[in-house]
Amino acid sequence: MRLGFLVDLSRCMGCMACAVSCKAENDVPLNSWRLRVKYIDQGEFPYVKRHFVPLRCNHCENAPCERICPVSALHYLPNGIVNVDHNRCIGCASCMMACPYNAIYIDPITNSADKCTYCAHRIEVGMMPACVVACPTHANIFGDLDDPESEISKYLKEHRDVMVRKPELNTKPKHFYVRGSTVALDPLASERPEGYTLFTEVKFLDHIGGH
Amino acid sequence: MLGAEVTFDVALPKVVWGWLVSTNMWAKSIATGSFLVGLYFIKKYPEKDAFFRKWLPILGLIFIAITLLVTVLDLHHMFRFWKIFVFAHFTSAVTLGAWVVSAFVIVLLLSFWSWVTGNRKLFDKIAIPGFIIAFFSTIYTAGIMGQSTARELWVFPVELFQMLLSAVLAGSAAYLLLMQIFNVQMEDVKRELSFIFIGSAFLSAAGYIGELLFARMHSEFSHRAVEILAFGELAPMFWLGMFLTFIIPIVLVGVATEKKKYEYLTLGSISALIGLWLIKHSWLLAPQMLPLS
Repeated sequence: MRLGFLVDLSRCMGCMACAVSCKAENDVPLNSWRLRVKYIDQGEFPYVKRHFVPLRCNHCENAPCERICPVSALHYLPNGIVNVDHNRCIGCASCMMACPYNAIYIDPITNSADKCTYCAHRIEVGMMPACVVACPTHANIFGDLDDPESEISKYLKEHRDVMVRKPELNTKPKHFYVRGSTVALDPLASERPEGYTLFTEVKFLDHIGGH
Repeated sequence: MLGAEVTFDVALPKVVWGWLVSTNMWAKSIATGSFLVGLYFIKKYPEKDAFFRKWLPILGLIFIAITLLVTVLDLHHMFRFWKIFVFAHFTSAVTLGAWVVSAFVIVLLLSFWSWVTGNRKLFDKIAIPGFIIAFFSTIYTAGIMGQSTARELWVFPVELFQMLLSAVLAGSAAYLLLMQIFNVQMEDVKRELSFIFIGSAFLSAAGYIGELLFARMHSEFSHRAVEILAFGELAPMFWLGMFLTFIIPIVLVGVATEKKKYEYLTLGSISALIGLWLIKHSWLLAPQMLPLS
């Protein structure tokens, strides 16, 4: 079994239900996110397009975070999920330096590394990840990549525009996007001006949790 | 740029590894460099080795203690440090580094004991394994940087050579400084130490300039990181570091050696040691200034 995720970006409407349900399900503290939705505006009026991009851990088959973790706090589960053992983590933040997707954070309460686990605790009892359940447009498609009859496998077979983030790094992500674009998936293809923009302040944090 | 702008996002963490990690690399360069350079002079000038047999373990222990202190302080769970030995994950350069530095501490303690007791044979026995351990203690950080997949500016073999050159530069600068402070009169040793210092400084500077020119061709990420380093918000720190580490010391140490004005060595060595920290810090920060997602 190899569990994977696919986001159909043409269905995502940026409602943040996935991000909110993830926060609630996993008790994610303020200023930390396992899943977030980024808005990118492209073009000039009247030729403007808005992209919504849900971003979470890619559960790479060749995960740099697993390789660099000095104590195996980040480890593979038999179903392909890259899981975190909070009690083992020493908080060196090497995983944050290694993850090319910015998917890992130091939890300011536990001081341990944390990230999306595809809701491993829900999967264990046969439930879908919280974000999949909460999505009103079924933009999040989750399932077994090894099962040719699973929805995700069929989706991948039917669509020719499947993309992953940073394929050149050979991390072999198990998180796919369809109907995406470079602007949506490449962080350097859009500007990120600090300051108040649409609804919020887009900025960088000077310090990470615990320090 | 495709005329696109992020209009809604969460606040992202910027600097994950900061000055504590830069200080770790800087102090480790002095600790391992003083061992590697000191060992060379002990073997080459056995009749004049008293200075190096004394200062090799002292410098090494002081700076490896600083290295370990800042390493532990940088952990978000500093009291779980022991887990790195109990739950060791050997694909990680962090783990390999912890083990090899622990071995290096043992080598330094034995070297110190050898100097205190005057047991020269003890040091001679550990010299070769000590050299190997000091070598790997120097380069393991390059492995960590290489495994930091997200930070494409850092490329493993290049960082390895930079770590070695930094160690030789820092070790020779530390010895030159001590020789001036304690008024050690060994002209031929001082002269050779100066040549080693100038050589490593020149090669290291060439390496950094080469990286600035060529790293930007690796990928968009490296290109942007180099721009931040060379022309952006880190440029003042980086260029000041380059000036203090390479230009001032090469001139001062060169003049000191050629004109036998050894008082210039003091300023040259201090300048190099300060500048090295600035370069290491800016090189560490540059790839952390860019968004990854």
